[in-house]
Amino acid sequence: MLQTLPRRAVVALLALSVFFPLGLVLWQSVLSGPFFMPSAQLSLESFVFIFEDPDFWMATRNTLIIAVGMSVIAIPLGAVLAFIMVRTDLPGRRWLETPILIPIFVSPVVLGFGYVVSLGPVGFFSVWFEALFGHVPWNIYSLAAIVVIAGLTHVPHVYLYSSSALRNLGSDVEEAARLSGASPFRVARDVSIPMVSPALLYVGVLVFFLGFEIFGLPLILGDPEGHLVLTTYLYKLTNKLGTPSYHLMAAVATCIIAVTFPLVLLQRALLKSAQRFVAMKGKSARQRPLALGPWKWVALAVIALWLLLTIVVPVSGVALRSVVSSWGAGINLLEVLTLDHFRAVFEEDVMIRSILNSILIGTFGGALAVGGYLLVGLATHRKPDGLSRLVDYIVLTPRAVPGLMAGLAVFWVFLFVPFLAPLRSTLFSVWFAYAVVWLAYGMRLIQSALMQVGPELEEAGRLVGASRARVSLDITVPLIRNGLLGAWLLVFMIFEREYSTGVYLLSPGTEVIGAQIVSLWASGAVDVVAALSLINMLLVGTGLALALRFGVKLHD
Amino acid sequence: MTFPFQPARRRLGFLIAATCVGLAAGSLPAHAQSTADLAAAAAKEGKLVIYGVTDNEQANHLIREFRVQYPAVQVEYSNMSTTELYNRFISESAAGASADVTWSSAMDLQVKLVNDGYAQPHKSAETAKLPEWANWKNEAFGTTYEPIGIVYNKRLVPAADVPQSHADFIRLLTTQADKYKGKVTTYDPEKSGVGFMLVTQDKQVNGAGFADLLKAFGGVSVRVQGATGTMMERIASGENLIGYNLNAAYALTRAQKDPSIGIVLPKDYTLVLSRVMFIAKGARHPNAAKLWLDFVLSKKGQEIIASKADLYAIRPDVEGDTTASGLRKQLGDALRPVPIGTGLLTYLDQAKRLDFLKQWNAAVKAK
Repeated sequence: MLQTLPRRAVVALLALSVFFPLGLVLWQSVLSGPFFMPSAQLSLESFVFIFEDPDFWMATRNTLIIAVGMSVIAIPLGAVLAFIMVRTDLPGRRWLETPILIPIFVSPVVLGFGYVVSLGPVGFFSVWFEALFGHVPWNIYSLAAIVVIAGLTHVPHVYLYSSSALRNLGSDVEEAARLSGASPFRVARDVSIPMVSPALLYVGVLVFFLGFEIFGLPLILGDPEGHLVLTTYLYKLTNKLGTPSYHLMAAVATCIIAVTFPLVLLQRALLKSAQRFVAMKGKSARQRPLALGPWKWVALAVIALWLLLTIVVPVSGVALRSVVSSWGAGINLLEVLTLDHFRAVFEEDVMIRSILNSILIGTFGGALAVGGYLLVGLATHRKPDGLSRLVDYIVLTPRAVPGLMAGLAVFWVFLFVPFLAPLRSTLFSVWFAYAVVWLAYGMRLIQSALMQVGPELEEAGRLVGASRARVSLDITVPLIRNGLLGAWLLVFMIFEREYSTGVYLLSPGTEVIGAQIVSLWASGAVDVVAALSLINMLLVGTGLALALRFGVKLHD
Repeated sequence: MTFPFQPARRRLGFLIAATCVGLAAGSLPAHAQSTADLAAAAAKEGKLVIYGVTDNEQANHLIREFRVQYPAVQVEYSNMSTTELYNRFISESAAGASADVTWSSAMDLQVKLVNDGYAQPHKSAETAKLPEWANWKNEAFGTTYEPIGIVYNKRLVPAADVPQSHADFIRLLTTQADKYKGKVTTYDPEKSGVGFMLVTQDKQVNGAGFADLLKAFGGVSVRVQGATGTMMERIASGENLIGYNLNAAYALTRAQKDPSIGIVLPKDYTLVLSRVMFIAKGARHPNAAKLWLDFVLSKKGQEIIASKADLYAIRPDVEGDTTASGLRKQLGDALRPVPIGTGLLTYLDQAKRLDFLKQWNAAVKAK
């Protein structure tokens, strides 16, 4: 809740931050060359080119398959996982929370590579399996494998959104269901999950969006058999014509926007009934965990299997790669053990700097971004007018543009807008690009938390004479502190692993781990990549565990 | 050099003139003088911005020594991919100014930038040491001499199979197609600009053999990839067995740490790629840029390139295994450096490029 003037200012700033770079992309898509070149002319040749390219249609088809497939896998699994973790008395769930979140902060390029080391044709799991059973029934490079892995690794996203919504629910309804004899599974299916369905709907559309944006996994796993998706197709276009073809890349990005934008409309229509789910009322909303009884073994088995496939398998691959000089068919791993790769990381100033910068941008940058998202959230909170509708559209659009393209657009903004130019080679420009690209994620967490604050609390505040700002500060914000904390954690992790968005904005002194990994990858230092990733995982994991400790305390 | 016969008097005059020049040169050595001037001017500029595709670790060896010689010049080195370098450079140039020096292995993109007027000329005692093909208009300079080879897995490829020439390689793929099916890897020319450049050079150099090469690739369902790193990793692990057209400089670095990597430089012809450096026309620190270019091409700079940076030195008067002269001893006339010049622009023409890719895809993806 903000007053009219600051509210308009917030929305205007948001619109500018999103539409200016986006406008550049759209404008670029109808030109014949780079927009800053005098030779560029208005032309539709870029669209003609991609529509005539069979690769484009193949990539579109694969992208749809992946987006649908991973939603079907990730949404139910994520919701169930959230229910188990938040609402039940599952033993050891505090210890599980950190590993569950690993796929969010590890670059998908690294995860994909971890799968190659462990489940690839000569991966160590594959070799063991073959020794035991005679043959390997899976093919990690098939489209089906990519869909399954993409689905499993996006479970944490769904988990985060639904768990943050579940935390804000009172448990009285669930207890009533349990008392009348429903099994924990039934409670989850018929009570808890329907109660968080606004959050699930949001995340459903978001995961589908992510399917369009997914890049690292198909880059690594799709390469050997030539499975293209729209983002890897776009990436391929940067080199296909020799010189980078901005207009073609922009045309593909425009097509992605054209597909995803109707989804935003659809999502809004679905959410008209969001008001039904107000659950955080003035009454006490004490939560009591549901007793699982013998069901806890089922729950543990499901979680263990998922952890094994999604975390243990790829991370063990990365970890193994970081301590050996070679691997694969016919290698005795004990003979090739080495710590040289870690030494290589700590000997380079750039590596140390990139680790420090990543931490900086994740913690401070993350907090700053959440602050910005909160302002936008408050600007539209309890104001179902045109301006709020506009914000809803604005928020989801940047996610429709693949990171690489969005990063390039932000780079142009900082390059060609005179007063921004001095900031270009600072971490601020990197932060800005990250904050815009991940707007949808932070916003959704904050909005689904805001939506669950009963209006009567804020009305009460208004009635006793508090200003809108006072109500926000003293009632709304404190009530959604769990949501804010969740958003900060999510943003921290995502900023930590992001790289494609920042590629063009990096300069000496502003290196981040993600970009370092990609540049090392290209020249062949895969061993150092593994070591660097492992260090990153340990650092972020530790930070996360500490934060969760802190967060859990806030709950009790 | 031969002199035509000259009458005694004129010869005397020539001698006197030559002596005078010699004396003048003795008291004020022309080259040293200009380097000192350059160093002074560079010190005033105080800074140098380089965009390069060479890894930080390797580039740092050069930068460290440069800083020892010219402590007044701060060096800002940005490591990026060839595509990023091109994108950043043209965008930033359009907005004002970009890096002072660019240094990239995408020879074609570098030549295009120079051809489009983004470079400024530089002539010095060091640039004069370069072979003719490595100096284009005194604007684009080759700085390394990196042979392109066949990389294989030493554990899993028997010595008898290891190809010594392109013909051997094609024969291996055709006669043992079953064994090597899905086990041969090379650059995807659609994804990698360097890969595209190398395979089109093959087409020019190999002539009739090129069609056989493509056919052999098709026969073993070659696995194409976008980056050297993934290819090398897959060869080392045994997922792939042989890699074609890999940069031997990178493979050598890897082979030092990993005994499973073997490298062959084909005896019939070995392509040689050179990292191209040019000074930007709009350089903010032009003197520092010239000083840097001279340093990289100097004997000291080239020795660092050969011995520490794991690249290959191009200057003919630098000795060792990883130098042009070392390779010449080993391969003689089989070396085929890719000349820096307009020839590299041929396939930047969209129609020609797409045409070649069509030909490639038709042959390679044929089942």
